[in-house]
Amino acid sequence: MLLLPFLALFFLPFCIAASVDADHAKLVQLAARNNGVIRLDEHSYNLLTNPKRTWSASVQFTALDKRRRCGPCKEFDPSWNAIAKAWSTVPAAERDSHFFGTVDFDQAMSIFQQLGLQSAPVVQVLPAADGSRRPASGRTNPIALDFSQGFDAGPLAEQLSHYTPIPIPYKAPIDYSRVASGLFVLLSFVAALRFISPILKSRWTWAVITVLTSLVMTSGFMFVRIRGMPFNGPNGAWVAGGYQTQYGQEIQVVSMIYGTLAAGFLMLTLVVPRQTSPSRQRMQVYLWTGVIFVMYSVLVSLFKEKNRGYPFRLLL
Amino acid sequence: MPLAYSLPTDLSPATVVNASSLLRIVALALISGAAIASRLFAVVNFESVIHEFDPWFNYRATRVLASKGFYEFWNWFDPTAWYPLGRVVGGTIYPGLMATSGVIYNVLHALNLPVDIRNICVLLAPGFSALTAWSTYMFTKEMKDESAGLLAAAFIGIVPGYISRSVAGSYDNEAIAIFLLMFTFFLWIKALKTGSAFFGTLAALFYFYMVAAWGGYAFITNMIPLHAFALILMGRFSSRLYVAYSSWYAIGTLASMQVPFVGFQPVRTSEHMAALGVFGLLQIIAFAELVRTHVSSKQFQSLLYASVIGMGILGALAIVGLTYKGWIAPWTGRFYSLWDTGYAKKYIPIIASVSEHQPTAWPSFFMDLQLLIFLFPAGVILCFRELRDEHVFVIIYAVVASYFAGVMVRLMLTLTPCVCVCAAVAFSSVLDTYIDPVEPDAVEEAETAGDGAVSASSTGISTSSGSTTTSTKKGKKAAPAAQAGPLDGLVSTVSAVVSTKKGDKAQGIFGGDTRLAVILNALGMLLFFVLHCTYVTSSAYSSPSVVLASTNPDGSQHIIDDFREAYYWLRQNTPETAVVMSWWDYGYQIAGMADRPTLVDNNTWNNTHIATVGKAMSSSEEVAYPILRKHDVDYVLVIFGGLLGYSGDDINKFLWMVRIAQGVWPDEIQEPNYFTAKGEYKVDDAASTTMKNSLMYKMSYYRFAELFGGNQAVDRVRGQQMPRIGPTLDYLDEAFTSENWIVRIYQVKKDDLLGRDLRTANAFEQGKKRKRSKPMARRRAIV
Repeated sequence: MLLLPFLALFFLPFCIAASVDADHAKLVQLAARNNGVIRLDEHSYNLLTNPKRTWSASVQFTALDKRRRCGPCKEFDPSWNAIAKAWSTVPAAERDSHFFGTVDFDQAMSIFQQLGLQSAPVVQVLPAADGSRRPASGRTNPIALDFSQGFDAGPLAEQLSHYTPIPIPYKAPIDYSRVASGLFVLLSFVAALRFISPILKSRWTWAVITVLTSLVMTSGFMFVRIRGMPFNGPNGAWVAGGYQTQYGQEIQVVSMIYGTLAAGFLMLTLVVPRQTSPSRQRMQVYLWTGVIFVMYSVLVSLFKEKNRGYPFRLLL
Repeated sequence: MPLAYSLPTDLSPATVVNASSLLRIVALALISGAAIASRLFAVVNFESVIHEFDPWFNYRATRVLASKGFYEFWNWFDPTAWYPLGRVVGGTIYPGLMATSGVIYNVLHALNLPVDIRNICVLLAPGFSALTAWSTYMFTKEMKDESAGLLAAAFIGIVPGYISRSVAGSYDNEAIAIFLLMFTFFLWIKALKTGSAFFGTLAALFYFYMVAAWGGYAFITNMIPLHAFALILMGRFSSRLYVAYSSWYAIGTLASMQVPFVGFQPVRTSEHMAALGVFGLLQIIAFAELVRTHVSSKQFQSLLYASVIGMGILGALAIVGLTYKGWIAPWTGRFYSLWDTGYAKKYIPIIASVSEHQPTAWPSFFMDLQLLIFLFPAGVILCFRELRDEHVFVIIYAVVASYFAGVMVRLMLTLTPCVCVCAAVAFSSVLDTYIDPVEPDAVEEAETAGDGAVSASSTGISTSSGSTTTSTKKGKKAAPAAQAGPLDGLVSTVSAVVSTKKGDKAQGIFGGDTRLAVILNALGMLLFFVLHCTYVTSSAYSSPSVVLASTNPDGSQHIIDDFREAYYWLRQNTPETAVVMSWWDYGYQIAGMADRPTLVDNNTWNNTHIATVGKAMSSSEEVAYPILRKHDVDYVLVIFGGLLGYSGDDINKFLWMVRIAQGVWPDEIQEPNYFTAKGEYKVDDAASTTMKNSLMYKMSYYRFAELFGGNQAVDRVRGQQMPRIGPTLDYLDEAFTSENWIVRIYQVKKDDLLGRDLRTANAFEQGKKRKRSKPMARRRAIV
């Protein structure tokens, strides 16, 4: 057993000199077998990362086995395969100078250890180390791609295209189900137009839409969406500490408070004066005034919670 | 009709009218005074100084305008910006702001009032805020009446959402733009109401002023067509609309094309296509209406309608086709990122990196608008109730602006006027209802009271029959039932309100105590609003950010003036041609205060050039040095807050430099390399080697550890303990470090005279010998 590494070491120079072309042929064959993605194990990984390689490669390190419970890996794998498949359609000359590979943790644990990878998925680009495609800067060590734009295939293909001989001809597939559902909604809307036109023509439909939109928007809905904030904090806290941030649940609470306060004012101006009985009217006036005062205090105290330095408070 | 309180009866109607108009004028004058005064905190607390970053450029340009005249300014080529490219200033700015202060300056000097141009620039924003209050008054008057107008003027005068961009010294385009926005909208509403081409033309002229003053004019360019389009859809096309829109669009577009920076954009870019499309649609509809009045045949009319719709669709398709062909430029990145919120982060990190382009969390809304934010929906509902043409405008404005303000903190500014108007409408409706002394007749009182009693008792019966409980419990239950009593009639009343027909039922409030309760509550809220605004203005929005303030242990104010100290050091100790490199945030300040050429500045038009600076900052010294030498850089300036705890420093912005550089050189700069193995952003011992070798890191922490005299060095911004032995510099020399270490300036060394590598030369200076194997061997041989 000990002999084997020694033997390998001994043969290494010869292997490299003689086998670059043979390796290449082998890789082409492997890639063709599986839609352009080479399933790498230790052996084929060494083939691919040959220090005298004339080709470049991009390798996905992943852990798809169920036991590993790697959600992002599963999410990312289809995008990776789609990019590789798109690459396998380019002319053979270019196609065979860049390879796509996948290293699964359970099939090649030692590679992970060797590279010191702690997490998955990771995508590394290996530039060509020799030949005409060797980068001018002479850097041939692996380049890690960043997933800051998510796991979508489109931006990733664009990023990878910097390293391939020609850009990857990736086009996002048309999502037929989405188109169909869009068409269905549109058609049913047109069909129902006759029946719902009184609703559409009513100003109060639009009033409700307008007010709900502005309430939700002014409660930080776009912040939560753009930043991808969670609905709740850890251990059920729903108020995010800090002036510049908020959780999803705060949208609901704050827009409810705003809505109640606005409704209080509307009641005082529109509804209460129509009351013809003085005693009932008096009751309503005090009721709504009280509601406004209490809700306003709640709002201010909630704001104080977010902005600790705020010096004012009402009831609470 | 009974009255709740008595009014003087011996006043002639003329007296009442005169007195109220006098009161209005006095109130407006006081509001203007308050608006100006509350913006002067910055001057009182600090001094009359230009704030922040962009204003420094505007100030510099205005100085050129004031000293050399308008034509010189128009043709001004600034060789010191974007070194070595230079910048054609006249053609790449909105000149409205500078022209305004130039005119004021010349008028004052013609009157023999020798006012310094700096003071005009500092006080321009407060002055225009008074005008904004007046124009908001005019606008709201068109929506409801004078009293709502006065409230709206008071609101916008002191609301923090507007003060944030218009304190004294914040000499930026927004300072005059909000006045122009509101006044153009007022003129548009006036033109629409009266159908007058005169007001349409005036609206066009102010639109032109707005185009000359602020890039946000696109908001008007799209709001007015949207309003017109909504009116057409509602079947409210009228000759008034036709005249107002056509006169505004034709004159306004031609005028706006006179601004060099805008040029042919009004006919070539997508942002302006809505206005053009609605203009075409209006012509078609007007023609159809004309034909309709002359032709009676029913078939012909239907044919006409079909052709109108067909032409409309064809026109829209033509615009789309032209966009695809490239004749019309698609949406620009800044505009597009408002719709697709992930767009900027993906494709233009430089836009996403600006802090005022971040989305808005709800506390910011409350901070900036306070009680107005919940009066706003109430006001919108009241607008829906009347729904005249001008109310449609406010409604559209409300929806659009609240979306935009949610997406970008900066656009809170466009939401603020609309919120003030709506809130004023809602608030003045409450006051109108409860101040009005007329009480309705209480004839039906007995009957309705009986009604209420019956309903209450019936609910009482139902509860008691449902449960066999003790009398005390019953009493408890009866109380909420009675409370629900007044709400019983709610549904019917709400439906009466919703139907919007003026009911013949008498309306009004009974009694004086109810009036007092509501009005006291309202006044209390207004008082709280004033306190809030004053607090926010003085504590949050009045810091010039050029001068910082901190509090001494004894409570007195301590001024931290590092920026000016460093910039004046540059001004006095370096040759005038010395090129200073810094991150783009400080470009305008260096140009304005130090008067030295800069590589990049806040006018972020050239992404590659900015990425070059980013690359130099984030690479190692050996890589950065050739870049610095190629760009003739003499000094490098970094902002470092680690000693004082100033969080807006360059190390905190560093990742954006890396990202922007990575966008241009993806194989040389990679963001993950700047994180630790665990993915944390650290500057202490655990920092990655790339981070520790980067020029920015070295310049920030050079000799930082020495300052602590053997104790543990701590970075106060990031709260991390620094390594005992700090970084060394071979290619740069420390030239200047300000009092609190906020600004650090380094001189780039010239090439070594003996042609050595600077690192080797440095090692030689320090007495370290080059490691060679041969001499060692010889020495050993001697021994």
